[in-house]
Amino acid sequence: MWAINLRIFGVVLGTLALYTLIANKIPQVQSEVPRALSLGANVTPEQLVAAGDQLFHGAGGCTTCHGLGTRAPNLLTDEKGQGPIGARCGKREPGKDCKAYLYESLTNPRAYVVAGYEPIMPDMGRTLSPQQLWALVAFLESNGGTVDVSASDIPSSTTSTPSTSATPSAGIAGGSTDPMTIIRGAGCTGCHKINGEGGAIGPDLTHVGSRLSANLIRESILTPDAKVAKGYEKFKGIMPKVFGNQLTGAQLEALVQFLAAHK
Amino acid sequence: MTENLSLIQAVADSVSAYRDFPLIGSRAAVWIAAEIHLMFAAFVLGVPIFAVVAEAIGIFGKDPRYDRLSKEFTRLLLIAYSATAIWGAVFVILLSTLYQPLWAYLTAIFGPSMWLYVGIFFFESFTLYLYYYGWDRWKYGRAKIVHWCLGILLNIWGTIVMFIADSWLTYMMTPPRDITPQTAPASIKIWHAILNHTWMPINIHRLIGNVVFGGAIVGAYASYRFLAARTDEERAHYDWMGYVGNFIAMSALIVLPFAGYWLGREIYQYDQSLGITMMGGFMSWLWVIQAFLIAVLFLAGNYYLWVGMGRIPGAERYRPYTKWLLVVLVLGALVWGTPHTMIADSRELAAMGGSHHPLLGALGVMSAKNTAVNLMILSTFLSFLLYRRANIRQVVPWAKTGTRIQGAMFVIAAAIVLFFGIRGYFVEAIVRIGYSVYQVGAVLACIVFVTIIDVLMARGAQSLGAIQWGKMPPRSQYALFVLAVTFTWLMGLMGFARSGIRQHWHVYGVMLDTTPYAATPALGYAAIMISTCVLIFLSLVGFIFWLGGLAEKSTFVPSTVEAPHVGH
Repeated sequence: MWAINLRIFGVVLGTLALYTLIANKIPQVQSEVPRALSLGANVTPEQLVAAGDQLFHGAGGCTTCHGLGTRAPNLLTDEKGQGPIGARCGKREPGKDCKAYLYESLTNPRAYVVAGYEPIMPDMGRTLSPQQLWALVAFLESNGGTVDVSASDIPSSTTSTPSTSATPSAGIAGGSTDPMTIIRGAGCTGCHKINGEGGAIGPDLTHVGSRLSANLIRESILTPDAKVAKGYEKFKGIMPKVFGNQLTGAQLEALVQFLAAHK
Repeated sequence: MTENLSLIQAVADSVSAYRDFPLIGSRAAVWIAAEIHLMFAAFVLGVPIFAVVAEAIGIFGKDPRYDRLSKEFTRLLLIAYSATAIWGAVFVILLSTLYQPLWAYLTAIFGPSMWLYVGIFFFESFTLYLYYYGWDRWKYGRAKIVHWCLGILLNIWGTIVMFIADSWLTYMMTPPRDITPQTAPASIKIWHAILNHTWMPINIHRLIGNVVFGGAIVGAYASYRFLAARTDEERAHYDWMGYVGNFIAMSALIVLPFAGYWLGREIYQYDQSLGITMMGGFMSWLWVIQAFLIAVLFLAGNYYLWVGMGRIPGAERYRPYTKWLLVVLVLGALVWGTPHTMIADSRELAAMGGSHHPLLGALGVMSAKNTAVNLMILSTFLSFLLYRRANIRQVVPWAKTGTRIQGAMFVIAAAIVLFFGIRGYFVEAIVRIGYSVYQVGAVLACIVFVTIIDVLMARGAQSLGAIQWGKMPPRSQYALFVLAVTFTWLMGLMGFARSGIRQHWHVYGVMLDTTPYAATPALGYAAIMISTCVLIFLSLVGFIFWLGGLAEKSTFVPSTVEAPHVGH
């Protein structure tokens, strides 16, 4: 019986070892996480191109199709005698310069599909931030063309901390002064509930006006750790302290008055 | 979009909402718990399906051997249920302590369905206890029918439980498109989240997959008992049981790719980039491994049948055909495993001389692969057919005509598969994808009509001798073990594919994974994880088999009834 058990064990282990060995012998490709970019007002074209290069060859996943010559046009090498992408991008769509064409190709890829290829390109705006998209545009322009992406093209990142972002704040949610748009745009509902919407990590804001004055609400937004609501002491330190830099004055006041009115 | 999401994530991360697990890391810990839970769950959901079918054959065909077979399946379930629940609890505890933000997000949406899940699992367990422990009490007359209905009820509970759990994981893969990172989880309607793109395709795919898996594990159990058997009667019984397990696994496997096509199509329709990541992105090599595993399954399954024909009087008539079937299977496997347009960097492309081989690369595209797999399915079906009619001589007056019609059906089906396979090279992809429906349709139609003709032709057939159950060389039993290991490994691999296409997202496009384990690992690492899970699972299953042997020791009752072929 022991001999049978050992033989069975050998068959099982041998089969597992074979499959594991084969899977380790083929090329090992890991799907990287796109690194968040924090590009300030002084970003140089070289920095943009370098960031785009990394994305193109790594986490952006571009080489899955571009460069194989079968699924999508080659971008870094010549394609049908037209040169690399930087040389041909300005001639693709009438009235669209290279920069606009490349940005459109990334965010609305079905708007123009190169003849001979299928509309399989996904909207990269779903997975990449605007900073990453513009870095890719700069990198593609640099392949045979001139890089004209500048800091003014790149919207400020809400993920960047004040010390790393040199771009002046235009406010959250495009500067809107609609309180609910600000609340959603700032991600407040990730932790706070208001009118039945949102999470339960922080205090419910539905009746915050009955607990706090306008001044205290303002203070809670700007320096959230100064006074912590009873029962939420263990969450002290969670709320970001960046809203003083990210909200415009008009937004802050609109938000404070809105919350104070929620009695 | 990602900015707001990152802000929420940063908030969560700032309080160490994610924790790490010692030594192996949180991803590996959750991976192992989820995978082993899933393997046990597949077993306890698959086995009741054919336990009930076997019991029905026993009742309505008045064959007590099937009743005993069904009871033996169910006894294995009892212990496997406990293991499923234990690993489920381990999984939930690890997920809720290591991945708090994800857990909080999912419970905010799916909370009520989680309560329902627990409730139904409770009912399911007690139905199983009644089903098993009531077996001998409700053995005759109407009571037996009621008992059989309990088995059906058990399957209903199990299916509901699986459908509920599937909604959680498919939501993570394909959340409805109107849900964005800004959408508060509590504001998402639960039915809206459940009815996502891949929910029903996964339900169907798993339903069939569980039957395949259950059949393979039962086959391994039977082969273990066969090898350990001390009497001829025992050996005969477990030989027959192994055949039934293999028959179930291979029959359901033939249908499984079609459910897989549907799932794949839904993934593409939901988001092209998900589909491209899966088929052409960093996972493209996974399909070459999958092709190898499927080839092993087809070859081992057919080998078992061909060896088994040695114990059937009259089967020698068909032996010359097996070498041609082997040729088709090997060629099909080689075509299916041909790589094409794999993800590679410029250095690797230069080394390969391009994205594919200049000559053999033509066999690596979907047209060739679909053709290959459909011909492999036809060949396997032919093996079953030869096995089925090995020890009979048809006596109906139209037997020759019937056989010719069957042969013509095979030829027509193969011709349709080849025609669309070749034509696929000359049309656009969107047209080519549609061709796979015609290929699959031709193969399925052939299987259905040939089987119907065969059943009608077998009426009153003359027997060339009883199948000599138990007279099987031991090497055939090891083929069943290879099948069980390969099915289990394949399940782990495809689970990695399904889960891995989300890449660095917990919920695709909605909730980022910001842990140090967010990058989706390469196949080599995944293979080590899968092998570890399979080894743990099979060790536990081995223990369960051993317990099953203890419980059943010396209770074997030899049968005087000749075991018929499945399907007769």
